[in-house]
Amino acid sequence: MIHLRQSIVPMALFAAAAAQAAPVKIGLLETLSGPQASTGQTYRSGVRYAVEKMNSAGGWNGQPVQLVEFDNQGGPAGASDKLKAAIADGVQIVVQGSSSAIGGQITDDVRKYNLRNPGHEIVYINVGAEALELTGERCNFHHFRLTANAQMRTKVLVQGMKQVKALGTKVYSINQNYSWGQDMERAIVDNAQAGGYQVVEKTLHDVNKIQDFAPYIAKISASGAETVITGNWSNDLLLLMKAAKAGGLKAHFGTVYLDQPGNITNAGDLALGHFVAHTFNAEAGGSDGERFVADFTAKTGHAPVFVEPQAVYGLEMVAEALRHTKPANGQLDVNAFARAMETTRVKTPMGEFSMRAADHQLMMPLVVSMVSKDAKYKADGTDMGFKPVKVFSAEEASVPVQASCKMQRP
Amino acid sequence: MDALVFALLNGVIYGLLLFMVSAGLTLIFGMMGVLNFAHASFYMLGAYFAYALQGLVGFAPAVVLATVLAGAVGAGVERFFLRRVHRHGHAHELLLTFGLSFIVAETIKLLFGNQPVDYRIPPALDVAAFVVGSQQYPAYRLLMGGVALAMFAVLYLLLTRTRVGIIVRSAIYKPRMVEALGHNVQLVFMGVFAVGAALAGLAGAIAGAFYTTSPNMALEIGVMVFVVVVVGGLGSLGGAMLASLLIGVMTSFAVGVDRSLADLFAVVGARDWAEGVGGLLTLKLSSLAATLPFALMLLVLLVRPSGLMGSKN
Repeated sequence: MIHLRQSIVPMALFAAAAAQAAPVKIGLLETLSGPQASTGQTYRSGVRYAVEKMNSAGGWNGQPVQLVEFDNQGGPAGASDKLKAAIADGVQIVVQGSSSAIGGQITDDVRKYNLRNPGHEIVYINVGAEALELTGERCNFHHFRLTANAQMRTKVLVQGMKQVKALGTKVYSINQNYSWGQDMERAIVDNAQAGGYQVVEKTLHDVNKIQDFAPYIAKISASGAETVITGNWSNDLLLLMKAAKAGGLKAHFGTVYLDQPGNITNAGDLALGHFVAHTFNAEAGGSDGERFVADFTAKTGHAPVFVEPQAVYGLEMVAEALRHTKPANGQLDVNAFARAMETTRVKTPMGEFSMRAADHQLMMPLVVSMVSKDAKYKADGTDMGFKPVKVFSAEEASVPVQASCKMQRP
Repeated sequence: MDALVFALLNGVIYGLLLFMVSAGLTLIFGMMGVLNFAHASFYMLGAYFAYALQGLVGFAPAVVLATVLAGAVGAGVERFFLRRVHRHGHAHELLLTFGLSFIVAETIKLLFGNQPVDYRIPPALDVAAFVVGSQQYPAYRLLMGGVALAMFAVLYLLLTRTRVGIIVRSAIYKPRMVEALGHNVQLVFMGVFAVGAALAGLAGAIAGAFYTTSPNMALEIGVMVFVVVVVGGLGSLGGAMLASLLIGVMTSFAVGVDRSLADLFAVVGARDWAEGVGGLLTLKLSSLAATLPFALMLLVLLVRPSGLMGSKN
């Protein structure tokens, strides 16, 4: 009898708490179908892993954090639509990563929603949209960028390549013609003096529409460039590099997204000796990196690749901020959470992450790596992998706050 | 001069590749009146068949087998799907092929994953054909161009110089009459569809290795193929060839032209004004290279709606 009562009392208490406290809902608004689905699914697996980890550590306010997934179908219109559905579903934290175009839509929608619904704010956790405007003219209090941006990536890429004398003095800039590619082009020009090179030519081309890059390679070849720096991703990167190989172009490639799954296996040996500026390299992370890879592999069945680590550590920042946010009437006060985010610091295998309050840009270490057969972790089941060239600390990788960011605080 | 030769060669070869894919589409439309939305899916199927088979039988046999398999799938689609909806009219056929293209893409994602697969040209073919200045020209591109030209010649001769060609052409024109003369018109239609699909499969098997083989490849080339067929004239093989080459060469040259409208204004001394206005006026032609074919399509539709070599009706 006593036994029974003992078990009933905590249960009753729990039921009472549950009636009052709503669990925190995290809404993942990713591209889960269509041509760019592979990128969205990569973010998803990182986020799922991180949320599972949050819950095994006790969730928030004694309840597990709920992850709800929405398919934005690859476009801003779909994202806007699904954001409404997410809000109706009680989502308070929105997570998205692939595509700056979608990120721009979400940040605007979130800002407007918060203006109209004071007291019921939502927050946008951006784990991958890297266009500068998101922390520039479009920056707002309820947006946090938990990844790098074009200026940071190019800065370290140039320094890293220069250090191993792979940069040369003539650089060709080729990028996709939208916010991200234009940011990259500007960053490549801005870093010319620091890198000691001259930008021989700049090209912007249509996004994921071009099959045949041979004419572009002819142009690069004619310019006499020793290095090609590009922010291209997906097919635009792969086709560019394949065409470079076929055309016998002898130039080093400095890239941002070479570690996307499928690139190394498809490019084969031609990827050797090219560079990537990325957010995570397990080999550079030493034993911490090794432990993360082992745990991630055990939980998901594959080693963390591409944007998965940045999604995981981005959500780790969220988890840390949640730990420092007290429930208000059993619920999450999003403004208090956002203020906690601004001072959050997290240790990762790469170094310390911290949030810059002025523009909500994450201060994070970046790694420059070279494709090599000596790499400890092989990519895509090939005999090649990403050998770290240099790890840049958060201070070294950081760039100043953009003057265009005028953040309104509640 | 070197640059000019390379730009021309690049454009012609890419144009020939476009022709390889669009030939089947225009053929099927010309013969059967079916606008086959799933056509680019056969291109993708060809690439994946060749990828799956090359480990077992080697590259060249894999390409041949992929062509045959894509043709067989095409025959099956005509026999068991299109034939059933044929009497309901073209809208139904169009919807059917539209749905089919999704099914093919999703099936491939299920079987081979979302990422590009490791399908590459064999090392023996991965050599330079010739070198001009600092640039090499890959032999494989010449091979692609050669296959396309051979295909055009065979198709053309088959349709205009053989008995089979006569029956096919008459079956299109007067199916009842041909049937009354003892020919199996259903079989002719199935054959035409299968050949069209096989041609796309061949193009996929060859181009998939040079570019990438991914579940998006149908989508990427599909739009351009429709542009080619519309510009050339629906149903015209010669038109498809002309339009393919035109589009290939045009995009290739456009990449090299870093001029904008502001340069045009410079002629009348208004460059500063144009650059001040910005926007469209300072947009470089090279950044529009992949969009130009659509502008061409618009122009053709306005000036000559039946296409460059299409029939008037």
